[in-house]
Amino acid sequence: MNTTRREFLKAGTLFATGLALELGVDGRLRRVGEALAAEPEAGAAFRPSAWLTIEPGGRTVITVGRVEMGQGVRTSLPMIVADELDADWSRVEVETAMPGPDFQRMTTSGSWSIGGSYEPLRRMGARARAMLVAAAAARWGVDASTCRTESGRVLHPGSKRSLGYGELAPDAAKLPVPADAPLKPASEYRLMGRRTPRRDARAIVTGAARYGMDLRVPGMKFATIERRPVAGARLGSLDDSAARRVPGVRDVVRLSNGVAVVADHTWAALEGRRALRLTWEGGDEPRFDSAGYQARLLEATKGSGSVGRAVNDAQKALAGASRRLDAVYEYPFFVHAPLEPMNTVAHVHDGRCELWASTQAPNPVQAAVAKQLGLAQEKVEVHVPLLGGGFGRRLGVDYALEAAELSRAIRTPVQVMWTREDDMRHGFFQPAATHRMAAGLDAAGRIVAWWHREASSAQNYRDRMDPANPDLAAIHMWGGVDNPYVYGAMRAEFMLVEAPIPLGPWRAVFAPSNVMARECFVDEIAEAVGKDPVELRLALLEERDGADEAMQSQRRRLAAVIRLAAGKSGWGSPLPRGRGRGIAAHIYDGETTLAQVAEVSVEGGTPRVHRFVCAIDCGPVVNPLGLEAVVESGVVWGLSQTLGREITFRDGRAEQSSYADYPILTLSQTPAIETHFIEGAKQPLGAGEQPVAPVAAAVLNALFAATGKRVRRVPVGADAG
Amino acid sequence: MPSYSIVVNGTRRAVEAPPDMPLLWALRDLLGLTGTKYGCGVGVCGACTVREGAQTLRSCQLTVAEAAGRSFTTIEGLAAASGAAVQKAWIEADVAHCGYCQPGMLLAASALIESRASVDDAAIDHALDAHLCRCGSYPRIRQAVKRAVELRRGSRAPDAQGAKPGAEPGGGER
Repeated sequence: MNTTRREFLKAGTLFATGLALELGVDGRLRRVGEALAAEPEAGAAFRPSAWLTIEPGGRTVITVGRVEMGQGVRTSLPMIVADELDADWSRVEVETAMPGPDFQRMTTSGSWSIGGSYEPLRRMGARARAMLVAAAAARWGVDASTCRTESGRVLHPGSKRSLGYGELAPDAAKLPVPADAPLKPASEYRLMGRRTPRRDARAIVTGAARYGMDLRVPGMKFATIERRPVAGARLGSLDDSAARRVPGVRDVVRLSNGVAVVADHTWAALEGRRALRLTWEGGDEPRFDSAGYQARLLEATKGSGSVGRAVNDAQKALAGASRRLDAVYEYPFFVHAPLEPMNTVAHVHDGRCELWASTQAPNPVQAAVAKQLGLAQEKVEVHVPLLGGGFGRRLGVDYALEAAELSRAIRTPVQVMWTREDDMRHGFFQPAATHRMAAGLDAAGRIVAWWHREASSAQNYRDRMDPANPDLAAIHMWGGVDNPYVYGAMRAEFMLVEAPIPLGPWRAVFAPSNVMARECFVDEIAEAVGKDPVELRLALLEERDGADEAMQSQRRRLAAVIRLAAGKSGWGSPLPRGRGRGIAAHIYDGETTLAQVAEVSVEGGTPRVHRFVCAIDCGPVVNPLGLEAVVESGVVWGLSQTLGREITFRDGRAEQSSYADYPILTLSQTPAIETHFIEGAKQPLGAGEQPVAPVAAAVLNALFAATGKRVRRVPVGADAG
Repeated sequence: MPSYSIVVNGTRRAVEAPPDMPLLWALRDLLGLTGTKYGCGVGVCGACTVREGAQTLRSCQLTVAEAAGRSFTTIEGLAAASGAAVQKAWIEADVAHCGYCQPGMLLAASALIESRASVDDAAIDHALDAHLCRCGSYPRIRQAVKRAVELRRGSRAPDAQGAKPGAEPGGGER
């Protein structure tokens, strides 16, 4: 088994246990929480500290070291702390942290906010609670073991006395920090496991919630940028005389990536931009077109590439097989298109820079802007409001860099807002991929050979992969290399075909296309050998191949969710005429297991998903209501790619630029989505990206069941028949 | 710069702006009402939806010159203008994910439930299908709209309920 991304991170994980303490001048107990899991990234140690502040008046503030983009961390992470602390949840306040010495890795990605914080946050809450108990016991002259805590108070039942945490805060702050404190058994949880509504719900429904687009700073100007159309293009001519005449326009500024129009309000900036007369010259590879690229991908899959995993000799076994199946699956380019387009407010002044950015990458933003402006990192303050969607797009730092560059040039606080068109055309796209699958069957219909070849491009903000890197397949073929099923022989290979456009992380990264190809092809084999798709998967998971106990345990957990999803969906029971069920399953990153059953029909040539059942094992669930939300979100995300539209490129430019030509899933297209979970894994695991991976395959397999016609690409479009 | 008189959330406001400025930007940049969101600028996503009486409209598609003399309700004024039931139902059903599209959803949902004694999935789909959410709050929107209908039916004066910031236990103001 190859090292997955998470294993790589874990292998280098450091757990710093220092718990700094300070008593604020105002008498507040400030807990500089123990550092959370330190993950080496770009050579820097990762040590975000969760801060817990209890004021003498009892006000309890939990500072969340992850950004909120809809996944619910401003609810779930405080629940963990507050439960171990026995805080009064109704009085807990939540703040979002800022990058700095105490929060060195706020980057929110990889579905790891709960998994990576769970133990340290519990221990932090438990230690703080122990100190408050010790303070109360000392005050009363009783043994700490005779005290208990409840809802923000320490109680001494023997003498019927009690003190609030606020009253104890100054004393507790002076006590030594215990090396450790006992964690609650699950039976004593008051918050974890309870269906807990999102803390920001009221602010959102009243319009009070602030996103990056909503930030207003005194003296702030509004700007928009006409960006170079393709990387490497140079500004040829610029006539900004008409733009400058637009009422409200204050300035037109040449930036390294385009021309900014600065104005008193957004509309004037947009009107000024429309009035610019400019030309662009050259570009790195201005002729790139996606149709030609996809033809190259198809061709590349016929060759050989980086081998990510090989078990026995798959090619030889294929040659000797009594029957062979072949199929090619195609997955196009997509763009994130969060409802809130990119934007940043920047204010460069007096040797510092203040930024308000809806970003998934607060620390990288801080570092990149500091480097760009030639400032020390601590001179760059990054405030992170709510994010109007992230999905991987906001792991980039481009939107912050240009705003800082502009603010420095005009010496004024400025908001750079992207239009929807900017956001779609200047995305970091999900790369297209083509998968060539081959299977060999013996006379009894057993799979003796499985050969999966993928051609695609490298990703991550134009950092190119070395085509000779032997780990290319391991890095890219998520779901291909870590194929959970057991075959007589298997081979997973990756062919790098570079696309000269910006590519970036995506929700579920490379898994969606690989899992689509794998799970659809398993279905094709099931059909060919006359087996039920659920039964075939379970049989392939029960085969023995000498895998270690960890892998066997994952397979058992996968089989469990397959059985659960099948059972809940009524697998095998009759459906109305024209409807079919399809199943797909996956072990995500060697951790979370999930299985999904889609129920689909075709109405007037358009596929319609009626019901979608998801079974997931991501370990202990902190907030079931939140877990259901991220599963629903992941399914909708996957359905958008399956039923929506793709991004195509011509002359190096994305041809789509709005929700009109790149439609995302709508309410009427959304099926009833059911989430069922098994708490099989011992620790909480990720759930934000995981539900995306099997969606396309579940739908395509259901389409086959409904129509008898095999569709081997997404979006399905008119192929549904 | 011409000046236009527009009533927003019951208050008459003077807006000095070019005549072709969309109401969206007047609300956000000139009147400080940032609850109305920009999502596409071409009337497709619904994030900028406001109400004019029983009607909903997309504020990116209406100029301030056209809006002059008319009266609009934005998300900031929804509670006072009979929307409290919808807001309460939204919180109960834990609808919002990132929340960016939700103001538009709420305006449209409030108009829907005020126009009918009952709603079914088809009516909800029809009223809200042109409101886009990238996070996938759709399944809970269906639940919440139905719940809001019940709340309205149960209480003919729901306006006093649940609209005060901070009234909710653990209300997550930043």
